[in-house]
Amino acid sequence: MESVLLRARGVSDSRSIATYLAAGGYEGWKKALGVGPDAVVKEVLDSELRGRGGAGFPTGRKWSFVPKDHPGPRYLICNADESEPGTFKDREIIEHDPHQVIEGIAIASFAIKANTAYIYIRGEFVRWAKILEKAIAEARAQGLLGTNVLSSGFDLDIWVHRGAGAYICGEETALIESLEGKRGFPRLKPPFPAVVGAFGKPTVVNNVETLACVPHIMTRGATWFASIGRPRNTGPKLFCVSGHVNRPGVYELPLGVTFREIIEEHCGGIKGGRKLKAFFPGGSSAPIMTAEEVDVRADFDACAEAHTMLGSGGVIVLDDSVDMVNVADNIAHFYAHESCGQCTPCREGSDWCADILDRIAAGHGRSADPDTLLRICRFSSEGMTICPLGDAYALPISSMVNKFRADFERRIAGASPLPPKKLPVLPWTGPRPGFGI
Amino acid sequence: MPKLTIDGREVEVAARTNLIEAARAAGIAIPYFCYHPYMTVVGQCRICMVEIEGQPRLALGCATSATDGMVVKAETSERAKEAREAVMEFLLANHPLDCPVCDQAGECLLQDHSMREQRGTFTSHMAETRRTFPGYERRLLGPHIVQNQNRCIHCSRCIRFTSEISETAALTYKSRGNSMFIDTFSGEAFDDPMSACAADVCPVGALTVREFRFRKRAWKLRSTPSICPGCSIGCNIFIDHHEREVHRFTPRENPAINATWLCDYGRFLADSLNEQTYLYPQHRKAGRLVRAGWSEALAALALEVRAARPLRVVASANLSNEALFLARELFGHHLRGDLVVPVTTGEQRRMKNGRGEWLQATDPYPNSLGARRLGLNVVDGDGLSRFLYGGSGLTLILDAEAHPFLAGAEALQLLRVGATAVWLRREHPLAGVAGWLLPAASLASDEGTFTASTGAVQHFAAAFSPPGTVRRMPTGAMSPECPTIASPWGPPGEARPLWLVLTALARELGASNLDLASPAEVFTLMARTERAFAGLEWEPLGGLQRDESLRERQHVG
Repeated sequence: MESVLLRARGVSDSRSIATYLAAGGYEGWKKALGVGPDAVVKEVLDSELRGRGGAGFPTGRKWSFVPKDHPGPRYLICNADESEPGTFKDREIIEHDPHQVIEGIAIASFAIKANTAYIYIRGEFVRWAKILEKAIAEARAQGLLGTNVLSSGFDLDIWVHRGAGAYICGEETALIESLEGKRGFPRLKPPFPAVVGAFGKPTVVNNVETLACVPHIMTRGATWFASIGRPRNTGPKLFCVSGHVNRPGVYELPLGVTFREIIEEHCGGIKGGRKLKAFFPGGSSAPIMTAEEVDVRADFDACAEAHTMLGSGGVIVLDDSVDMVNVADNIAHFYAHESCGQCTPCREGSDWCADILDRIAAGHGRSADPDTLLRICRFSSEGMTICPLGDAYALPISSMVNKFRADFERRIAGASPLPPKKLPVLPWTGPRPGFGI
Repeated sequence: MPKLTIDGREVEVAARTNLIEAARAAGIAIPYFCYHPYMTVVGQCRICMVEIEGQPRLALGCATSATDGMVVKAETSERAKEAREAVMEFLLANHPLDCPVCDQAGECLLQDHSMREQRGTFTSHMAETRRTFPGYERRLLGPHIVQNQNRCIHCSRCIRFTSEISETAALTYKSRGNSMFIDTFSGEAFDDPMSACAADVCPVGALTVREFRFRKRAWKLRSTPSICPGCSIGCNIFIDHHEREVHRFTPRENPAINATWLCDYGRFLADSLNEQTYLYPQHRKAGRLVRAGWSEALAALALEVRAARPLRVVASANLSNEALFLARELFGHHLRGDLVVPVTTGEQRRMKNGRGEWLQATDPYPNSLGARRLGLNVVDGDGLSRFLYGGSGLTLILDAEAHPFLAGAEALQLLRVGATAVWLRREHPLAGVAGWLLPAASLASDEGTFTASTGAVQHFAAAFSPPGTVRRMPTGAMSPECPTIASPWGPPGEARPLWLVLTALARELGASNLDLASPAEVFTLMARTERAFAGLEWEPLGGLQRDESLRERQHVG
């Protein structure tokens, strides 16, 4: 497949607006300004573009939820808070082709009639925040942003807002809270951000990769975009492959390739000739898949059928040297650390899971532990929590316990009981006052 | 008006009512910890899960509005029950099981729910070491609040209270996830003017009121609906008392005045109700105060007031409408005396009502509007000085604490000229000049109504009868001379509420129309004759009563 989103990778001076314009950049923006917002929404709806941030919600539908007759401002937010373990695609897009994102933001803002857009970028992405700021300044200097863009009467300002390093702020309502200057606590939904979002106004939050697809849809048409991939799962997708493969990295492939193709053809197979044991299809919050499931297609619907999710497309490959207890322990610690602490099941459950897994990993597991883990996970997911972070830790851990129970049981079988806690022995200092002795 | 079915019971509620309130109206208690009807819904605790027919996932009772035709299963749903059990297990995973030494026990939502739904059958799968916050087990968060972070269930009620109700935004979460704890934003003392409400809204023993800690177990307290005497706003309170001792005030729900809040100033007046320095009527003979009985005192007073030329009466805006009315009728109309109500201005007090509006008052009396509406002569300090000036005759001071002027040297000099009878409860300079010194009862043993600054006439009930009261017999016979009962639960004494003394005095004076048996009868007479009280009835006066108030401690009292 030809490169679409990563076409600038390897091009010299790819970040400058001159290079971008020479490659036909901002044509989609000009076209969008010509056809009007409704036509843009229709084009994106027809392309069947689905959100690349993890949930795979149709982007055009999300845009159309913004109330048409809402007076006053509305906002577009580009979610560049890429924090999912095993995911590094947005950084790659911004690194090589920031203008692609800016153009996508401009078109999306125009489609929802937002005059202000924010790029909420992960706090650690200092370099990429600077890249984006430079790109915005360049676009503004060319008259592509600012007041009365290209004499169309449309005003657009884009601001880069750096996060403070919390995973939860990638969740769209927590992101909005954080953008408003509050603590990054996800909001109770409904109302959804499309109705009550940033500063109480209708807001659309889209992922960087989603927005990067939009200019291509505008220039080359919805039909072209829909021809890539499979029905309802259209377009190119960036897969971030990490772990025990020979060539880890970001690969741009059409949706619907099999994970076998990704791992074996594109990434050159498992490192050191070992065997595949398991892999995460879409970041560490997607339920794990076994080596037998490697022929599942990497798209939203096929993954959902296989009881996992494509998520952000962060494929983490694990070979047969890996003990699943350690993987679960690692993941549980990440989520226990990143749980915002707002709602009960996630706050208490994630930490509890981490404690149990620590104990199993330290060789003091108990036979009831796997079932306790499953119970914790069951009641932390499926609507028990405010935001999907509950599912994000519960589903992978429960999938690991279910699919690799032998790993857990082997550890538990060889475990020694927890050494009894030693209570401090206080020295006898004679009768104490107040006790009548 | 959506009509819905909850656990098979049909109920019609106002639009936008949530399921917790709808269930409450249907007589079903959906448990909750983080929800509070006067604060925003956050859906954090997840205990109010209910099953709604036709919805695949469980819904939150707090965040779901009732819609027409909705079929909700709360207690009858197995799935919801399972989810609630799991949430309890999560909450109790790290909550210390120190109920026996926790001061919240008995009025703890977590404990109540555990006892109600789990009935002691609860077993936890938790085998790890509990999360603790070393150094935060008994920390003084502010002048009135003690924090035990180990017990916190992270419901954010206290945080929402400071950001939405008291608007100081003093409290916040610090840290994240399971190690999150409550602290003041600035790290300084939590000295919000309504700080103790943060402990009220705390569903567990994480925040407790310093003044009340370990004074009395919650289940021993009885709650009597009353009105805060601190200012003219007239916040509705419960007097929580045990064995004739007032232990605390807690807010009683009244959406129009104080919602479910109470300011620290008013709340900590509770202790002052226990002060009773003067226990017996006393009479000055040859410069020395001698104990007298009530019948002796009343007979002598009756003679004195009848003979007094002029008769001057200093009433007080601290008195109930009933006492003021009786004083006006008896001393003003029957005996043709002069009567004033002295007032002063005090510190500004604020209270937020159920609609989120601030009520303000600089009037430190609970009933100055009542005095005005009864047509009494309301005067300031200067007016009081002029009133007392140059008086031989008899001066009655119905409440020694009516005005700070009365405690001053000028007043004492003015009052030395003639005879003086003073009602007083606590140590007061007037005791030195009084010819008759009559013990007054505190608010806790009085009954009547106050007219709040909003115009609401609100009833307060007697928490306990003054020690040794002999109630009026159905025959009408009543002896104010009481046998001194050596009460095991209170100081011996004969302090009487003013209405009782005034009705007895009326009988002595032959004013038979004022010889009434209870504040209710006085009120009925008042409602018949006074325009300000026309149409009011005694029974429904005041805010919500014990079983209606959002007191999450319904079983107290």
